[in-house]
Amino acid sequence: MPSPRLLQAFSRHVQEDPGRTALVAGGARVSYADLEQLARRTAADLDAVDRTDVRALCVPAHKSPETIALLLAAWRRGINTLVPSPGLGAAALATLTAQAHGPLTAVAVPGGGAILSREESDPALADGFSAPDPEESLLTLTTSGSTGVPKLVPIRTDAFDRFGDWATEKFGLDADARSLSFSPLNFDLALLDVWTVLEAGGTVVLADAGASGDAAYLRALTSDNDVTLVQGVPLLHRLLAADGARYPSVRTVVFTGESVSEQGLRDTFAACPAARFHNVFGCTETNDSFIEDIDPDAFVHPLPIGAPIEGTEAVLLIEGPDGTEVLQGPGTGELLVHTPFQTCGYLEQARNAHAFMPDPRGGGAMFYRTGDLVHRDADGRHFLQGRTDFQVKVRGVRTNTLEVETVLGAHPDVVEACVVALPCPEAGTRLHAEVVRRDGTSLSSLGLRAYAAKHLPRHAVPSSVALAGTPLPKTPTGKPDRNSIKKTRLNGDT
Amino acid sequence: MSTTATDPIRDYIVQEFLAGEDAADLTDDFDLIESTVVNSLGLVRLISWISETYGIPVDDIPLEPAAYRTLADIRRFVSEAAPAAV
Repeated sequence: MPSPRLLQAFSRHVQEDPGRTALVAGGARVSYADLEQLARRTAADLDAVDRTDVRALCVPAHKSPETIALLLAAWRRGINTLVPSPGLGAAALATLTAQAHGPLTAVAVPGGGAILSREESDPALADGFSAPDPEESLLTLTTSGSTGVPKLVPIRTDAFDRFGDWATEKFGLDADARSLSFSPLNFDLALLDVWTVLEAGGTVVLADAGASGDAAYLRALTSDNDVTLVQGVPLLHRLLAADGARYPSVRTVVFTGESVSEQGLRDTFAACPAARFHNVFGCTETNDSFIEDIDPDAFVHPLPIGAPIEGTEAVLLIEGPDGTEVLQGPGTGELLVHTPFQTCGYLEQARNAHAFMPDPRGGGAMFYRTGDLVHRDADGRHFLQGRTDFQVKVRGVRTNTLEVETVLGAHPDVVEACVVALPCPEAGTRLHAEVVRRDGTSLSSLGLRAYAAKHLPRHAVPSSVALAGTPLPKTPTGKPDRNSIKKTRLNGDT
Repeated sequence: MSTTATDPIRDYIVQEFLAGEDAADLTDDFDLIESTVVNSLGLVRLISWISETYGIPVDDIPLEPAAYRTLADIRRFVSEAAPAAV
């Protein structure tokens, strides 16, 4: 974890077992001693510049051993690092760096070391933004702005250590752990599959960012490196399980990010015969908050998000006759959580009043308003219903576009599906689906409509379906970029 | 199966309800109603198009969806109601 404790653990691994593999990247093995050497080279570059006014170091998350070494080197010097998606444009990067009180940016160079640059920006950009406090946090992540500039979320060191303790025990991580790091380094998922694994002395197999849709590459990477831990969105598990692939080395499978289809679950069970399976739910602001341990012989579908992780408190808020109230017993409401792993708040102070609120039952704990609509059944199991803001009305009927996506995504020939609500002169709102079909299948849009009509109420069947052979556009956090898809559609329609 | 350009009913359905989509699967017996390609609003548009195109008074056109379930159904109705047109 990005914490002093992680740094101590890392140094211990370097001393005690320098030849052990820390990272696998681009077909090469990087030992703990190699990584230490990369970190030292990078530290020399950090020490060569005047850092007196540096409040945050922007490190674009290029996925490489050198970037990991750069982060270790910065944390050792007590520098808070802002780690945004490397895909962000220069203007957005400059704005984020200014908002985090920058002003330095560091880009790791092959072979170790970093190129540092200083952004001259309007100081007014940081108005209303707290400066990260390195005593409290060494890492600032960004959450997907599906709208506009991403939000800055400082990750507290003590919160990280608590997450590391939980994850290490829950997933049995030790020096024999070998994780597949599929998601980008700027995702909160890296807290588990990169940083906790390194703290445990294990090996992180870095999947090349450019090859994330390449099933054959991912399968070989996982098999050849005897990966034990696979965490990711359903798409990753689907790619890995394709064509009857088998991974006897995998011990832990974590589903996260989106709901997984029943067939996807069964395929993954078959692909990882020796694994335990978990559905984990969370967000950057709180890290993981719910977990469901999945029994392949007795599971329910759709999968519950399960029960709150130890130390997490969760309430569901509903609109009652006298305004907002806490739901008692079974029912559906907006999920609010307080986790041992959560942030102290966005750097942008004005956002916090809306996103965080004191325990609605009384008490001082700060709860995060997830915006997720969650159903709790009589047994206390929780099921994600969608986002409160994914509710649309189609011909007067309340419809959740995520549920429609889930149904389309369950078609065996569909790789991914995205459903957006478009204005319609007749119906007010109509649903449009963008679907990526599996290579080599003959699935047609008519075939998919017929399938959707069988599995959805009529109002929820998309009134247009576009099939593509290429992946859908993604947000910086890897979810389908609904806004972009919507815009393209609207502009194309007019 | 009729896929030539001389099939105005099929062309209308493709243009109006399947714009930009791959319509190769649209066979004469494909269920337009069940698949929701033609929904209740679409049915209104379809009926008014049939009325205009084939000169059949709207009052003579049945409103129940079953009459337009497939391309074959629509073609059969039109040929009965306006034999000169097709």
